[in-house]
Amino acid sequence: MKLLYSDFIKRIALVALLNAGTAIAADTPMTTGVIAETGLHYWEWDAQGVLFRLTQRLPDQTRAYFMARGFDSGSADLIANRCVFQSMFKNIADPGGTATSIDLDTWRIRSGGNEYHLVTREQWQDELQKNDISQAAAIALEWSLLPTRQVYAPGDYNWGMTSYALKPGKTFDLGFSWKREGRVFHGHLKDVECAPDIHPDPES
Amino acid sequence: MMSKRVLQILLALSAAFALNAVVAEQQVQLLHEVPEQPAAPDFSIEDVDGVVHTLSAYRGKVVILNFWATWCPPCREEMPSMERAWQKLRHEDIVMLAINVGEDEDSVFEFTASYPVEFPLLLDRESAVIRSWPVRGLPTTFVIDPQGKIVYRAIGGRDWSAPEVLQKIRALRAR
Repeated sequence: MKLLYSDFIKRIALVALLNAGTAIAADTPMTTGVIAETGLHYWEWDAQGVLFRLTQRLPDQTRAYFMARGFDSGSADLIANRCVFQSMFKNIADPGGTATSIDLDTWRIRSGGNEYHLVTREQWQDELQKNDISQAAAIALEWSLLPTRQVYAPGDYNWGMTSYALKPGKTFDLGFSWKREGRVFHGHLKDVECAPDIHPDPES
Repeated sequence: MMSKRVLQILLALSAAFALNAVVAEQQVQLLHEVPEQPAAPDFSIEDVDGVVHTLSAYRGKVVILNFWATWCPPCREEMPSMERAWQKLRHEDIVMLAINVGEDEDSVFEFTASYPVEFPLLLDRESAVIRSWPVRGLPTTFVIDPQGKIVYRAIGGRDWSAPEVLQKIRALRAR
């Protein structure tokens, strides 16, 4: 009986230890890693009722995506030659919690001692108007980018691209914010790396 | 002494696990109640088979209205659960409509080869319909009551076949 008891205590201690590990991980707002299937890096903020993730997009991925949706190569290049991430913002507050709102126009990045803003869907629409892109392309662009302003009830989330006024391969720190019940909260993702523009030589 | 301590740890762990389970369950199944429940903007558009659907013609029924696109990962992810929900609700005076935004029939037909669904897939080719609705990102889904009021909204994918979600939708029929 005594042996069983100590075995039981060990099991409980193990479960408690595992739980403690989880708690430590959850207390660290930013995590980063590599997606095994693609080799692309991601940066994630998980704190204060918000889950926000940036995942690298290769410039060629972005080029191909927009060309498949009616962009000419010049216009697709214009977007692909900026730093573009697949992004996800989610309000992870408990049910019955409050809504969270974002405004990408207030977000800033720092790179090489300079501050830059995000290039939002509205700014892209203005810029690409000059290139006379088709209506189908303009619609794809609008809905593919993370909404500039959005209100998320608990459980709500959006996926979408975010783009930054930097060249592929650059590194930056992102300062982002959200509002909940009139209060502004701030989060940071550090040393975020824009995917480089790689053109591998064909094997001879 | 030892047994009392063990009991305390056990109780704490059970409470933590129970709470985690409840939170995980509720996180998945959220439908946000729309304040003031505005009237649903009407529209009249074709589905992929050329059949015209007018929202106001479904007055008296509950309508689940989804805005989506084939390239949108959460849209694709929730589509099978919408089909499962549709199979459970289709004979209960409940309508499900999924409006594709900005794509053509070919893209949608190709999509249905991988994601077969039996509810109507409507085409908002020039995104004229979505602009009259409070949508900023895809997918966004609304649940409209028989009086034509928007009662629930979900931004991002959901498991539409979850019993809690089906129960909320069915409850609107009594309005």
